[in-house]
Amino acid sequence: MKTDILNKRNIGISAHIDSGKTTLTERILFYCKKIHKMHEVKGKDGVGATMDSMELERERGITISSASTNVEWSEHSINIIDTPGHVDFTIEVERALRVLDGAILVLCSVGGVQSQTITVDRQLRRYDVPVLAFINKLDRVGANPIKVKNQLSENLSHNAVLMQFPIGLEDDLRGLVDLVRMKAVYFDGTDGENIRYEDIPADLINEARVRREEMLDAVSMFSDELMEAVLEDRVTEDQIKEAVRRGTIRRKLIPVFMGSAYKNKGIQLLLEAVVNYLPNPAEVENVAQAIEEEGKEVKLAADPDAPCVALAFKLEDSSYGQLTYIRIYQGSVRRGTELYNARTRKTFRVGRLIRMHADKMDDIEEAACGDIVVLFGIDCASGDTFTDPGLNLTMTSIYVPEPVISLALAPADSKSSSSMAKALNRFTKEDPTFRAHVDPESKQTIIQGMGELHLDVYVERMRREYKAEVQTGKPQVAYRETIGERASFDYTHKKQTGGAGQYAKVVGRIEPLAEGNFEFRNEIKGAKIPREFIPSCEKGFRHALEKGPTIGFPIIGIKVTLVDGLSHDVDSSDIAFQTAAREAFKQAYHRAKPFVLEPIMKVSVEGPAEFVGSIFGSLNQRRGIIVSSVEDGLFARVDAEVPLSEMFGYSNALRTLTQGKAEFTMEFLKYGKAPAHIAEALQNEYEEKKKN
Amino acid sequence: MVKTWLVKRSPLRILENALQGGLGKGNIAVLASRKGIGKTACLVHIALDRLFQDKPIIHVSYASRVDYIITWYEDIFKEIMKNRDAKAAAEIHDDLIRNRVIMNFKQDAARTERVLQSIEAMITAGKFAADTIIVDGYDFAAGTPEDLRKFREFAGKLGLELWFSASLRGEEPILDSKGFPLVLRPFLDEISVLITMVSRNDLVRLSLIKNKDAPAPGELPLKLDPRTLLIAE
Repeated sequence: MKTDILNKRNIGISAHIDSGKTTLTERILFYCKKIHKMHEVKGKDGVGATMDSMELERERGITISSASTNVEWSEHSINIIDTPGHVDFTIEVERALRVLDGAILVLCSVGGVQSQTITVDRQLRRYDVPVLAFINKLDRVGANPIKVKNQLSENLSHNAVLMQFPIGLEDDLRGLVDLVRMKAVYFDGTDGENIRYEDIPADLINEARVRREEMLDAVSMFSDELMEAVLEDRVTEDQIKEAVRRGTIRRKLIPVFMGSAYKNKGIQLLLEAVVNYLPNPAEVENVAQAIEEEGKEVKLAADPDAPCVALAFKLEDSSYGQLTYIRIYQGSVRRGTELYNARTRKTFRVGRLIRMHADKMDDIEEAACGDIVVLFGIDCASGDTFTDPGLNLTMTSIYVPEPVISLALAPADSKSSSSMAKALNRFTKEDPTFRAHVDPESKQTIIQGMGELHLDVYVERMRREYKAEVQTGKPQVAYRETIGERASFDYTHKKQTGGAGQYAKVVGRIEPLAEGNFEFRNEIKGAKIPREFIPSCEKGFRHALEKGPTIGFPIIGIKVTLVDGLSHDVDSSDIAFQTAAREAFKQAYHRAKPFVLEPIMKVSVEGPAEFVGSIFGSLNQRRGIIVSSVEDGLFARVDAEVPLSEMFGYSNALRTLTQGKAEFTMEFLKYGKAPAHIAEALQNEYEEKKKN
Repeated sequence: MVKTWLVKRSPLRILENALQGGLGKGNIAVLASRKGIGKTACLVHIALDRLFQDKPIIHVSYASRVDYIITWYEDIFKEIMKNRDAKAAAEIHDDLIRNRVIMNFKQDAARTERVLQSIEAMITAGKFAADTIIVDGYDFAAGTPEDLRKFREFAGKLGLELWFSASLRGEEPILDSKGFPLVLRPFLDEISVLITMVSRNDLVRLSLIKNKDAPAPGELPLKLDPRTLLIAE
């Protein structure tokens, strides 16, 4: 099928875990006639929702991978990227957001805006993704969509505008009032597939008028035409739609829809809103960077006949080999033609080209800009850019946070050893926040990631998908070292006994650097150190930072300034200056009041207000600084700064303390000075290790 | 060092002297003015003065979002630290954050008992040894003397000083002949110290209207600087 770019939508469904996102996706697929029988996430019938394709996800009832699915709705082609909700897998969410043009923010009508909603919302802001809100679970006891809409405005500072309101709530949920059409909408049939428009019930007509007026007030800000029409009382549906669309695309407005995915209410109207209000790919500006022009930004044209630029945003293993999900930003991809990988500088031929449904696929001949499709058997990494040969462009690299936690792995037997290697190779390609390396000293395989659960999931996947039995060590926090004061160095490296001699002298200072890890400055007047050896000095300093002398972790926040030095015509060399720099650093480091840094996490705990005492207590026990606590009657959210080393096992502890009713999210905030007793313990540990 | 100097030189010492050494544990002080005069700025200045003395404070807010309150602290702190050594300021700033907790409630959703329970949980379970509580944005018009009595009993029980702000609304007169805000009359028994802020000739003057059991001196030699929003002589 070839669709005009105006009729394409690439959308994500972003939400908090229990807001019913997967069920909603499932219903959307159903109404778009792609699947014929609906399942629930936690599958009472044991089949599980279609989007939830991984076995592990099925078991845990959460969606970890962002598979992309294509559906059609009223002559529009919609790609749905199912984004994971858990913060430990944030990179998956961010990567998905990168390729989206719009998103549905799903909220639970009972729980409302929760800490994960805030995280997801922040991510959507970062990528400037236009958003529709969908308040789900109107059938639940305690459903209060108006409260949730107010939370969107108050807690997230969104210009949220109700486009609908419910007819009945909880058990009594019958339908919705559509404020654009000014009609009552009912969803008949066993699966709610028959839409029936009626007059608004008499008892709701006043509320409908008030809410429509509120909506028009907010929306007319985006259209002079509508504003005039409102004043003259001759508003048309098209005028409203146009204004809502403008406000939404500019991210100045969030239209709020609602329903119950579980009870089959409101989904078709949401799809209609996706088509009406979210942007088509041509309405979103995308840029690439010119590799040979120092990253100069090049605007991409949403033109199917322009040279091709596409981004590989997701890899998946399948029985057919590696699947590569790509988003085409410019031009077209055709079967049998060649594409160029800007990172590897290699050209490859496009074999099969596939349009994906969660676990089913359609072969296609070509795909154009705005499309999300799948390539087969291409050797690449996630985040690679593919272009027509001759172009040398790369899409902006996706923001990748530094890992904060590591874990030692050991295969249980030799068979597991090779499958473990295979698995690690795959995972590191799939997920840039997941890293693996072999420690040169202990010879152990170390994996690194964003949190305990993040690493757990990969260890679990190794067992299940790769049959690799591995033993894991204790999770290890990524400590750092830094200095508290300026100190100078004056070091001469001299070795003139037999053979070629070595001579290098460096003089300068090291000092704390507020921003960044390392800065090197050369302030030597004249050519006391030949120019070619300055980079050698820098290299030597960098090398010294890799492993701090106090606890053996990398040193950060250092500025090195070279002010003087000496060289020898014969005996000075690259190696001599590297060695001098390294030793000079050590000399100064001990006098610069070095100390240990530990990662501090921003932790958000959320739960019923009755548990705030337990939450405060649990954070305090973990050396947490409570920054704030917000209560709105029933729920409380506590924000704190807690050292990562104290957060191990927190999810279990929190569950026990609050009868499973509270949950938390965390993300890296900053490095903070570790207390003396912790620094000492780490130092002793390091001394022990060095002895052995 | 810097902190000691800041505390010693603070214009808030004038207020402290007028109050014969301070508000005192178990007492409630109310800062009353019309909206937009600078009550929050004053409260934050008072809170920072405590923080400079390494005394933990809890800032309870009924109206504003947490990030908004944090911005207030940052702004007032910056003003106080103006022209001072950046390194010292950064260190003091770290201490401040450690000793300050912001608690946010909705008055219509959280009853006074609930609010007090949470504050108590912060002090006991959270091991946060605050002795000063700032209560900003409490709507006296919607509250009852019974609520304020609970606050005062709570302050007595836990040995706390409570500093409230009260927004005065409506048409003139908002004060009675003695300068006492009409809206606060029903709460008179629970309030130990009352300070009003009135804007006159582009200056906001602070007046001590009720001074525990001692005679109230009326206008204090204190004003709020409209530019820095700091309390000044």
